Amino acid sequence: MIFLPRGIPVREKVNPARINLPEAMAKLRDGSFTGYLRFDSAQGTGVVIFERGKLVSALYIAADEKERLIAYDAIARIFEISILGNATLNIFRLVPELAIGIHALLHGSYLYRGQDLKLVNIEGLQRRIRDEQISGCLRVYAEDKVVLIFYEQGHSLGFFHDGGDDIVTTADLTRSVARLPGVRFDLLETAYGRNLMLADLMASADLGPIWQRTRKLLLDDRRKSEEKAIRSMEERQELRRQQLLLQMKAIAGNHIGKFGISQVDKAFSLVGPDIRVEELAKFYDELQRLAKLVAGPKKINAMLDEMKQQASSRD
Amino acid sequence: MDLNIVHIVLWLIAGLASFSFSLGNARVWTSICVGFVLILLAEVIPAAIPFLPGLQLPQVQALGYITGTVAIMVITHGFQEYYMFSRTLEVEGQKLHVYLGVLAVLVASMLFVLINPTPTSETLRIINIVENSCWVFLSVINIDMIRKIYQAVKDTPISRGFIAFMFVFGFIFLWKGAALYVQVYGLDMVADQFPVRYKISLYVHEIGNLLTSISVGATFMILARLLR
Repeated sequence: MIFLPRGIPVREKVNPARINLPEAMAKLRDGSFTGYLRFDSAQGTGVVIFERGKLVSALYIAADEKERLIAYDAIARIFEISILGNATLNIFRLVPELAIGIHALLHGSYLYRGQDLKLVNIEGLQRRIRDEQISGCLRVYAEDKVVLIFYEQGHSLGFFHDGGDDIVTTADLTRSVARLPGVRFDLLETAYGRNLMLADLMASADLGPIWQRTRKLLLDDRRKSEEKAIRSMEERQELRRQQLLLQMKAIAGNHIGKFGISQVDKAFSLVGPDIRVEELAKFYDELQRLAKLVAGPKKINAMLDEMKQQASSRD
Repeated sequence: MDLNIVHIVLWLIAGLASFSFSLGNARVWTSICVGFVLILLAEVIPAAIPFLPGLQLPQVQALGYITGTVAIMVITHGFQEYYMFSRTLEVEGQKLHVYLGVLAVLVASMLFVLINPTPTSETLRIINIVENSCWVFLSVINIDMIRKIYQAVKDTPISRGFIAFMFVFGFIFLWKGAALYVQVYGLDMVADQFPVRYKISLYVHEIGNLLTSISVGATFMILARLLR
């Protein structure tokens, strides 16, 4: 899980499977967009950061946190979860400094992680930041509320809270998050300065082929798994049909002998793999017609009654 | 009591049993039943000659023999259909078509007899030999075909009926075979020279006829009971 405050919403709760992401990202580049795209899915979460139209950062973290991908690997995986169709895309606008700060935070190293805020001496923590001149970010979060406090050389730069697009110096919302039950915090040290210049990932590689390749691979996989599912469904249906046929043959054998078994074999060709009611009705009619040549109505009716009972007990 | 009357009565019973069985059962039985009903006609015509004046007409007698020939043809065709069914489980056609087909053959035979010269005694003898030949050889074929049918359906309720049919054709073989033997060797002309074999042939013929009529009636009654 990647905890980040929401910026100014541009698009919310969009299904990225319905979007051509390279084209959408190209539009963001053309519009000199600054902010981040957040992709949430059951498999994991991805964040793509734009700074003045440059795609400067991409990060993907799997839901179990065993997989952490950056740059093109992250983009490819983000494309993958998007194409799979069960992801949600939110786009938030930020100021460029904050976008870089977010990037630095996502690539920072943890000094504290998942600590219970109520068990920590806040003043002691702030003193440590100040004394050790830490540059980084204190992330406070509870439920889906997150606030970030940025530090440079041990001095607080300000807060980034939900719904904002810039670092502010007021701390009202911070306090409100801090009051929520189960509130936790992370302290991350960042290696990058706020004015760091980052490369444009879209400039150094065309995302179109990555998108197309991922899409093709996933569609192939989907087709294969669908074919496999169809095959296995057909196999199950055929197995079920064969079991019913065996039972019908056994009943016919008991009532009108071995010849009855052959008659069932022939009449059962009218029954398809999904054993429809009307097909069974035709089967009974055909079997009755054939059986009339070797047995009387009493025996035939007893046989058909038993068969119908057997067929209905399977439903 | 005249043996002819016994024959007529027994064949009437057999014919009625056969015809009623054909009405109440599947199409594949129709040809077999109609064939046995035709035996009734073929037997009644010559047997009734002493009682019904007019039947002694050579054309009527010829028609009687032809009807007998048609009977064994239709019966054989019926068993052939049943044999096919026992192997392929395919049955085609309708009962009405069988009735109409047999009727058409009989009408055509009648026309054939009427448009030709009045049959002499020699002509009648040859027609009768043809009839008996058909019966003898087709009986043997039918016994083998019924044996095969029995093998295919032997554990079904109806299977014992086919054993009965084998006996029927065994009796038919004796009945018609004895008559054919007498006709082929002309034993009736030289009966005084070969009295024993002639008499044995006559007895076999009469007893064969009697047993056939009884066994046909009994077989259809057994079949009706088995298919109840």
